[in-house]
Amino acid sequence: MFEIKDLCSAYGDIQVLYNIDLHIDEGEVVALFGPNGHGKSTLLKAISAVHPARSGSILFKGQEIAKTPAHKIVELGIAYIPEERFLFPDMTVMENLNMGAYNLNARKSMAENLEFVFDVFPRLKERRGQLCSTLSGGEARMVAIARGLMCNASMLMVDEPSIGLSPSMKFAVFEAIEKVNREKNLTILIVEQEIEHALRMANRMYQIRKGRILFERKADEIDVKEIEKAYF
Amino acid sequence: MESILNALVSGFVSGSLYAIMALGLTIIYGISRVFNFGHGIVAVLGGYLAWTFFTRASLPFVVSLLFMLPVMYLLGWLVYRYAIRGLMKKPNADFSTVLFMLGLGIMLENIILQIFGPRVKAVPELVTGSIMLGAIKIKNHELALMVIVLLGIIVLTQFFKRTRMGQAMRAVAQSIPGAGVVGINIERIFGYTFGLAFMVTGFSGALLASKYFMIPHIGWDWMVKGFVIVAFGGMGSIPGAVVGALVLGMAESFTTLALGAVWVWPVWFIMFLVLLLLRPQGLVGGRN
Amino acid sequence: MKKLNLTRNTVILAVVLLLIVLYPLLGAKPYHLHLFILFFIWAMVASSWNLLNGISGINSLGNIGFMAIGGYGSAILAKTFGLSTLITIPLGGIIAMVLVTLFLGLPTLRLKGVYIALLTLIFADTLPTLLTQTRAVTGGAVGLHEIPPFFAGAGKIHNYYICLAAFLVMLYVIHRLIKSNTGLAFVALRDSENLATSLGVSRFRERLKVFAISALLSGLAGGFYVHSLGDISPTTLAIEPFLMGIAMMELGGIGTLFGPVLGAAIIVFGSEFLRLADVLRMTILGGLICVTILFFPGGLMQAFRKLGNLMDRRGKRKRGESVQAKVQSAD
Repeated sequence: MFEIKDLCSAYGDIQVLYNIDLHIDEGEVVALFGPNGHGKSTLLKAISAVHPARSGSILFKGQEIAKTPAHKIVELGIAYIPEERFLFPDMTVMENLNMGAYNLNARKSMAENLEFVFDVFPRLKERRGQLCSTLSGGEARMVAIARGLMCNASMLMVDEPSIGLSPSMKFAVFEAIEKVNREKNLTILIVEQEIEHALRMANRMYQIRKGRILFERKADEIDVKEIEKAYF
Repeated sequence: MESILNALVSGFVSGSLYAIMALGLTIIYGISRVFNFGHGIVAVLGGYLAWTFFTRASLPFVVSLLFMLPVMYLLGWLVYRYAIRGLMKKPNADFSTVLFMLGLGIMLENIILQIFGPRVKAVPELVTGSIMLGAIKIKNHELALMVIVLLGIIVLTQFFKRTRMGQAMRAVAQSIPGAGVVGINIERIFGYTFGLAFMVTGFSGALLASKYFMIPHIGWDWMVKGFVIVAFGGMGSIPGAVVGALVLGMAESFTTLALGAVWVWPVWFIMFLVLLLLRPQGLVGGRN
Repeated sequence: MKKLNLTRNTVILAVVLLLIVLYPLLGAKPYHLHLFILFFIWAMVASSWNLLNGISGINSLGNIGFMAIGGYGSAILAKTFGLSTLITIPLGGIIAMVLVTLFLGLPTLRLKGVYIALLTLIFADTLPTLLTQTRAVTGGAVGLHEIPPFFAGAGKIHNYYICLAAFLVMLYVIHRLIKSNTGLAFVALRDSENLATSLGVSRFRERLKVFAISALLSGLAGGFYVHSLGDISPTTLAIEPFLMGIAMMELGGIGTLFGPVLGAAIIVFGSEFLRLADVLRMTILGGLICVTILFFPGGLMQAFRKLGNLMDRRGKRKRGESVQAKVQSAD
């Protein structure tokens, strides 16, 4: 349902991604591994058109979206949860979630999505009236993920959801992502440094190095040693 | 005692007019980070349009506004769509937008001057007469102005709080990448923002023209006043603009009472510089 | 190719300069000399202004005010104390520098760009009020008249050469400044504040330095203005001169050495050719600024550079389509 072909991306004169090919099936959880600064986030930014790709094609549900602007991508059903979170600091948790449901499709199923989000993150229900600038790092991460879920997307791209969190909080976040995949059957593309955690839920993985796909493995043929080696 | 009460009232009246005048400036700056250097002339244009519909076409005031506001909205949208949008993408957008709005303001000022001539214009008072509140006399017109301003501010805050578009504007103001991630069309929101801000500014111009006299050149005065108010209260913050306007309005009327009108501007300027030293983000502005 | 380009520009420059030097000797009318004097003075103002807005990215809108301070300073010193202009003009410049740095540079240069733009504008805007309040010294709204010339008996032709020399020296100084370490620091700060700061360039100090230099140079230009024209009044601070200065920089090419000079030539001679009603002239000036910013952000200098590159390419190829076609394709 999702396919990238020959995608290249650059910041100014510096090329970051070279001829990326990647595909994801419906309902699949795909993990993307690779060292920092080798293009994982750039790939997610290219897909979400936050930083559009230079060339190549991106097919989503049979539709070419490589040239589609960011706000249309969300409407089509791809939600991007950036590592930087990009919350609205002077809005309450509830208002942030509301903004997640900004696109017209999401507006319709807002009540239902909200219920699901509060079910996944009960903590946010308690804090819904609180300003986002006053949240802890873990809570802010939850809001970012929850806001992404409110987009009513069929595919979710999560960038380093566990970074900077305490072990118990990390566990909660991964639990939540698994639950989303299980109960909503969302397709998920996840970038993560916590390889073990990510592999528990992933059906497949890609390894990125220096802007290129190094290898691709199915869940049953993954060798953690091989992945770790690819980091150096 | 009586003169102090009078100063209090007149400070409140001019403060509330300054508040609505500064809102348009703070809205554009807060959401798009563009400082509208043509702000004053936009207000003047609103005033002249209202004057034309009101006194020339003899329409009721409210109807005049109904004619004027869409024109202002359209103008704001056009300015964004065909000039500012492109400039914002280029390097040095800060200064090129300032200069562009400056050039446009000068052009507009002189076009208004050409059409309406250099003679002073004033929108007639909305209601005549006055009431006595204890020992002090308040014009009904001034009371009406304060009520209108209050209603205007309530409508605007509710717009930003409750409506989908208002919320989207606040979202863009707080995090542009965040707005992009949730699927807000940022350029479209900027366009609406300019339209809205020009509309509010034009509206404030019509109100100002009914209290003070109006010539095209007065716009620069209004712009500079608006800037001091907005920076005083906190650039981009709506409560900041209102608080700043009331504080400076009071300062104006009490300076006039104690020292004379010539000293208003130096007092404002000194207050402003002191505030910049103590709280560069302004009275209400929280973060940078 | 680069070298060839340089030589051609040098030749053009030398010829233009020679013509300007010889012009008064070829029996020019006094009125035309007057225009050229205005041009030299405006070129000084625009060039020193460009040092802030173009070279170092400080958005000043107050340089006309700096110029007025220098002009008033020099005029008062020469008129009331009878000092020689050799002393009063530099003193006027220094007065402008000190006042502007103290009251404007120190409080504002740490602030964001918009604040600087507005506060410099307010500063220049407050000067007329200040001037009318100090009538005993500054002549109030009427201003100062019969300001002594550069030296007793100096005529238009002398003024012409004095202002020309001052202009050339100032341009050379600005040129050296841009090429010096200080100048490089300015440019670095404009282009990437973070990088420059990490290289140990103190942002505030460098900005203060360039602000002081720009105020000094604008103040000096003010001195040359009053002694060649003989009078100055608060109308010097009206919106039109201010707009003209902005238009010169933008039209000529902001951030380049010759851009403001070129802009000054166009605006000074252009407004003489177009003797229009005030309202119309201001509308055109405002419109000109808008159009330049929207459609020719690099000003004429950039257009010339493009044209120069085009001609180089053509000369190199020797054979090719007509220049006309290339000009069109380059647009």
